[in-house]
Amino acid sequence: MAYEGVPGLVEAREAYGETTLVVDPARLEEACLHLRDEEGFNLLLDIVASDYLGWGEDGVAGYYGTAGGRNLNEPAAQGYSRSPEPKPKRFSLSYLLLRVADDSDRVRVQVWLDEGQGVATVIPVWPTADWYERECFDMMGIPFEGHPNLVRILMDEDWEGHPLRKDYPIGGEPVRFSEAE
Amino acid sequence: MATVERGALPGARPYAGSRIPRPVPTILKPDPTLEDVLTVNFGPNHPSTHGVLRLIVDLHGEHVVGVEAVIGYLHTGFEKTMEQKTWWKGVTYPARVDYVSFQYNELVYVLAVEKLLQLEVPRKATWMRMALGELVRIHSHLVYLGTSALEIGAISMFWYCFRERDLVLDLFEMVAGTRMHTRYFQVGGLAEDIPVGFYDEARRFCERMPKAVDEYEAILNTNKIWLERTVGVGPLSGEDAIALGQTGPNLRASGVDWDLRKRDPYLAYDQVEFDVPVYEGGDVFDRYKVRVDEMRESVRIIEQCIDRLEEMQGEPWIADDRKVVLPPREELHTSMESLIHHFKIVTEGFRVPEGEVYVGIESPRGESGCTLVSDGTAKPWRVKFRAPSFAALHATAACCHDVAVADLIAVVGSLDAVMGDVDR
Amino acid sequence: MALDESVDQSRVSKRPLAKAGMQSERLLWPTKQGVFEDEVESMEDALGLTTLEKAIAWSQTKSMWPATFGLACCAIEMMSIVSSRYDIARFGMEKFSSSPRQADLMIVSGRVAHKMAAPLRQVYDQMLEPKWVIAMGACASSGGMFNNYTILQGVDKIVPVDIHVPGCPPRPEALMEGIVRLHEKVMAGVPPAYQIRGVAS
Repeated sequence: MAYEGVPGLVEAREAYGETTLVVDPARLEEACLHLRDEEGFNLLLDIVASDYLGWGEDGVAGYYGTAGGRNLNEPAAQGYSRSPEPKPKRFSLSYLLLRVADDSDRVRVQVWLDEGQGVATVIPVWPTADWYERECFDMMGIPFEGHPNLVRILMDEDWEGHPLRKDYPIGGEPVRFSEAE
Repeated sequence: MATVERGALPGARPYAGSRIPRPVPTILKPDPTLEDVLTVNFGPNHPSTHGVLRLIVDLHGEHVVGVEAVIGYLHTGFEKTMEQKTWWKGVTYPARVDYVSFQYNELVYVLAVEKLLQLEVPRKATWMRMALGELVRIHSHLVYLGTSALEIGAISMFWYCFRERDLVLDLFEMVAGTRMHTRYFQVGGLAEDIPVGFYDEARRFCERMPKAVDEYEAILNTNKIWLERTVGVGPLSGEDAIALGQTGPNLRASGVDWDLRKRDPYLAYDQVEFDVPVYEGGDVFDRYKVRVDEMRESVRIIEQCIDRLEEMQGEPWIADDRKVVLPPREELHTSMESLIHHFKIVTEGFRVPEGEVYVGIESPRGESGCTLVSDGTAKPWRVKFRAPSFAALHATAACCHDVAVADLIAVVGSLDAVMGDVDR
Repeated sequence: MALDESVDQSRVSKRPLAKAGMQSERLLWPTKQGVFEDEVESMEDALGLTTLEKAIAWSQTKSMWPATFGLACCAIEMMSIVSSRYDIARFGMEKFSSSPRQADLMIVSGRVAHKMAAPLRQVYDQMLEPKWVIAMGACASSGGMFNNYTILQGVDKIVPVDIHVPGCPPRPEALMEGIVRLHEKVMAGVPPAYQIRGVAS
């Protein structure tokens, strides 16, 4: 595989035509520098943080598909309850990278983090990471070490809580359907 | 410089000629030795900033020596709200993210769900999606041109552009019943068949549009005031643009030939002929030129789509897979399975296999993308929109070396950031 | 201002609004006497405007300058009423005044996030009386399709609203119907909302 030289590589997955490189969070900056300088991924598209609290708790009964397509002959697909595969840690942080060159390619670098665990900032590697990391901090509460300006970006500066976490309520108001309520 | 070659990349240290501010790439800080610096707040409610953007600007006389953008005034919580709705009901939300190129956001969401489902879409739907996507590209560029020209002072451009914009919206209304935020793209194809008379109306529009673009260029391209206000203002080099995550017209105006419709064709873009305008200057004028040329190219694409679509009359417009797509209403009277499928899809929603997928397409602002994480149930686990306007605003500070206040407005307008897209 | 002769005169309202020449769509549609006309007309009878007050009210509606408060998608449709097809200049309202001090009408077009609520109230407070507010679209009227932690469920929680215009986004014609109804309300003598509403005025 072309990505064997990435420092800190834990696993490389291919699904839906996309390559995902799972990397050790402690060596993230080395891995990103390697990808930018050796492999040529010069554009950071997005930093996606996902919270997997409660993953798989409502089992899915009945027809359930697989990554290779929906195969109704797959065992445990007909009428049985089945949970999706458990995730290693609570948060996943994915960096979507693009190579802007004639042989263009895309890759997703993924790290898995616990609650409160932080990761180094990649601003020295791609300056555009500034606001993306602030957004991940604001929405999910993932601290980025070395970020020069880690303040909330989308919510108010003094907002409490991290809205996109699964234990944060959706909020809003109950809808009144009649004047009597 | 055409494409950035491998090997010619920005190093870990700032490369020669980089104007990205340090240490914070998105904040330009005034020189501390400068006296007489006035801090002004371009508040969220301002006629010249596109939507609710707040800029905290440090001025030394008329020159901008510090700029910081504060966003979040339109944060709608799309991502969390979509986690509460099923995949099918969620189709109404992406349109409102980037509300100026609304069909493109629906398209990216629908393409991502179809990628997870590995669903095949009939070719009529593919070509119609292309045609409507290009129409919305024209719509987006018209709104951009009308509003940024208005902000710079060429007020009459607003009426010229919105005249054609109403024609585009008439076409949308004919097809989907509503002018904006049509939920016409569904998972599996289109919501309804293409109405009778659409092709003639679209052809009439395609004849009219290039003449309208000629009018815009006649008004602006050789206008001395426009040239003085936009040429050389707010330049962004190619390497800086890539380092700041720019895609789309902002990147093409900086000299990098990068268009996803050519590099990584989605839908049927490899079967239509069109050119991609690339300009070298990276200033406000070049970004304007890129968008105006793109309008012409979009008209070419729409004409080719209409030609192909007319051959496909009578073909299905949505996929046949009853586990995902609602069955046609006639069948509900006769077939028990159709009734059950309809019931399950409407009440519970169709289920999407477990997985994580990202789809990126070339929206009028850049690469618009949708990351979907599914856990196999009827509701998404995580939806994340890659917002090109978010990245475009990163470049505000880098473009604002040596600009005056009036040029700041021109720069922010030319980056074409839609605040719904930025704040999501 | 006579109505079209083909309209069955026996079914057209004889009440003051029609006589004053108001031409809102529902008046010209005889079978559709709406609640709006009933309420406004009953208020007009109760208030009993003098000629001078009627003249003042008439002039207030003739060039009510909107304040630029375009937030989201509805702002695009609000911009399109300025365009030549849905010309709002015929009402004298094409001057969208950026300075709230010179604006009469605030058309809140788009979803209001909690972060934006404070600037919105500040702009409203800076407007000089008499001032009116139109909540344009579903998000400004009630939070729309966004019932979550960040969107204000209806802008009438922080400013008193005169007219709510439904739609997502409302067509330009719908917004103009809202504006025309606001004009009719004002001409009938209905005071602006901050004098009526008990909450958030």
